[in-house]
Amino acid sequence: MKFTWFHLMPYRWLPADFRQRYHSVWVDLPNGIYDPERGHDLYNEYLDQLEYAEQCGFDAIAVNEHHQNAYGMMPSPNIMAATLARRTSKAMLLVLGNSIVCYNPPTRIAEEFAMLDVISGGRLIAGFPVGTSMDINYCAGQNPATVRDKYREGHELIMKSWHTREPFAFNGKYTKLRYVNLWPRPIQQPNPPVWIPGLGSIETWDFCAEHDYNYSCLSFSGYKKGEALLKGYWDRRAALGVDDNPHSAAFFQQVCISESDSLCEKEWWPHVDYFFNNCLHLYPGTSEAPGYRTAASLRAGVVAQVGNTSANHGKNKTWKELVDGGYIIAGGPDSVRQQIEELIKKLRVGHVLLGCQIGSSPAELVSRATLLAGTQILPKLRHIFSDFEDRWWPKPLAAARRAVPGHYAGAAK
Amino acid sequence: MSEPRSRMLALGSGRPTIEVIEAGQGPNLFFLHGAGGVAWAGALPILARHFHVVAPVLPGFGKSAAEGLELLEDQLDLFQHGFDVMEALGLEKPLLVGESFGGWIAGEMAALRPKEVGKLAVLAPVGLWRDDAPVTDLFGLEIKELLPFLFHDMSCPAAVGMSALTKLMSDKDDKTDEQVEQLIALLMGFRTAAKFLFPVPETGLERRLWRIRVPTLVLWGAQDRFIAPSYADIWAKNVRNAQVVQIERCGHLILQEQPEASAKEIARFAGV
Repeated sequence: MKFTWFHLMPYRWLPADFRQRYHSVWVDLPNGIYDPERGHDLYNEYLDQLEYAEQCGFDAIAVNEHHQNAYGMMPSPNIMAATLARRTSKAMLLVLGNSIVCYNPPTRIAEEFAMLDVISGGRLIAGFPVGTSMDINYCAGQNPATVRDKYREGHELIMKSWHTREPFAFNGKYTKLRYVNLWPRPIQQPNPPVWIPGLGSIETWDFCAEHDYNYSCLSFSGYKKGEALLKGYWDRRAALGVDDNPHSAAFFQQVCISESDSLCEKEWWPHVDYFFNNCLHLYPGTSEAPGYRTAASLRAGVVAQVGNTSANHGKNKTWKELVDGGYIIAGGPDSVRQQIEELIKKLRVGHVLLGCQIGSSPAELVSRATLLAGTQILPKLRHIFSDFEDRWWPKPLAAARRAVPGHYAGAAK
Repeated sequence: MSEPRSRMLALGSGRPTIEVIEAGQGPNLFFLHGAGGVAWAGALPILARHFHVVAPVLPGFGKSAAEGLELLEDQLDLFQHGFDVMEALGLEKPLLVGESFGGWIAGEMAALRPKEVGKLAVLAPVGLWRDDAPVTDLFGLEIKELLPFLFHDMSCPAAVGMSALTKLMSDKDDKTDEQVEQLIALLMGFRTAAKFLFPVPETGLERRLWRIRVPTLVLWGAQDRFIAPSYADIWAKNVRNAQVVQIERCGHLILQEQPEASAKEIARFAGV
């Protein structure tokens, strides 16, 4: 088992009457309410938390990409990962990921991921989401009727640029380049491991199986509802004749860890409430552009007319409903460990992405949760699925071969 | 009232197969629908008393399979597709009528191959842009919020009918299979419009307007809140042979909200 500390980086300072005054946390929430000085504190606090996760023994630390919102302040996850590459040395860097269709040309992603892989000594996991409709259509102006096709083409270009050692021409429908010749190229060969975030679409599962990529199920509905999604995934792999290696799947789960079960609700509820009711406060009119999902996907879930990773079924629920429904795993270390073990075994996932910071949760609470996870929870779960090879994990340079950040700055003295 | 006939038209290998709706006898009226598709109601049945109305249905709308949209990769494909249909149906220099999204296509077609169009009537067409009068974002509103932008009088029969449909857009999980299919049909049509007009419905028509030489009727609802009637001025300024007519007590969906008045203007313009 491997555990990743996944940060969403929410903006913590939405006004108390936010939901009354604004129809969405995304797309058209005026940036006048963003305070850059508070943002300065938040970025540094959040990056500290990811660095601390490494110290506490997490296997990887994760960032992602969203635009024009107070839900997650990482329009450029690669900038976040770059700061982490220099300040960490053991944890893998999961960037989940870069929305391919938003980059022109998409070789920009191949370049930046290669830079991150080279700077970090081969610790990168490369994530390629399609992106939420809010991000890619409404914020980035990409055409909803063609984004899936553009995604496939961009993915092909990126992989070819990583795999080819001579300049080549690329005559795509969306990108035409006479000379593709990637400098630098990644340390990891033939390419860093690729993870694809998604929910429950068969197209995503097939894409992962075809390319032997990890499928990362990113849902805010938690592991109890996630069981059906993962069952669909494993059934599909079986139907395709692909192996059932648990490391081919990752699952995102939000956790509220306190020192005891009895403290948990009091410590975490305001921040969980902030997350489900502020950070996921979305306006249906700009949640999903027509064409973002295929007719088949619409037929499968016509009710949830909101963006891909952001279907918010946790809205207006009580603490008890969220805990009972598995939206959040909450409690002291023992009960959290027990529930994560249940998640791992029922969903059969070799990777768990833990959301240890939720909504407005303050630094002290988050640090304590991270330490409790690292010392009292993860060590008891690591052995699970150890008899399966993890083909989706980075192969970094040996520690002795790695550069030491600051070495030459120090030498100058 | 004449009943419309629906049939499928295969344009050939590598080209879409589409539904064509037809009714009436008389001079050919080639009708290009808006983002809501073809509704055989409002002014169309009235026009079919004077004209042979031929309404091709774009891929994603009606019975025209959404997959056909992949064969229309860019706007040039879309405009040429309009001529392909005319040619396949043997329509020579018809009266070309387009509403909203279809008005844009009609205008572009008339600018692209001006000798193949008889006369042009555009009904509150999109395709132009002024920062001080932004066109309503068709793709950034809930459907139920869109209706007041489409009608002047929300109590007119067409508005009442559409309101019933928008009730399906609630997030309740209580829809019948038929309602789900209705919803998906609506979204697939919007997808087609989005392919050519997302995110800002302006792709350069203004610099091509001067090429429109045929007599042109620019019809606008005086109370259009979707796209301001002031856009008619740009047509009047750039199209040498244009006449602008406003219809009173009328919003964006002219043929739906004022069937008699709009049909009368089109017939007058055509001289029938």
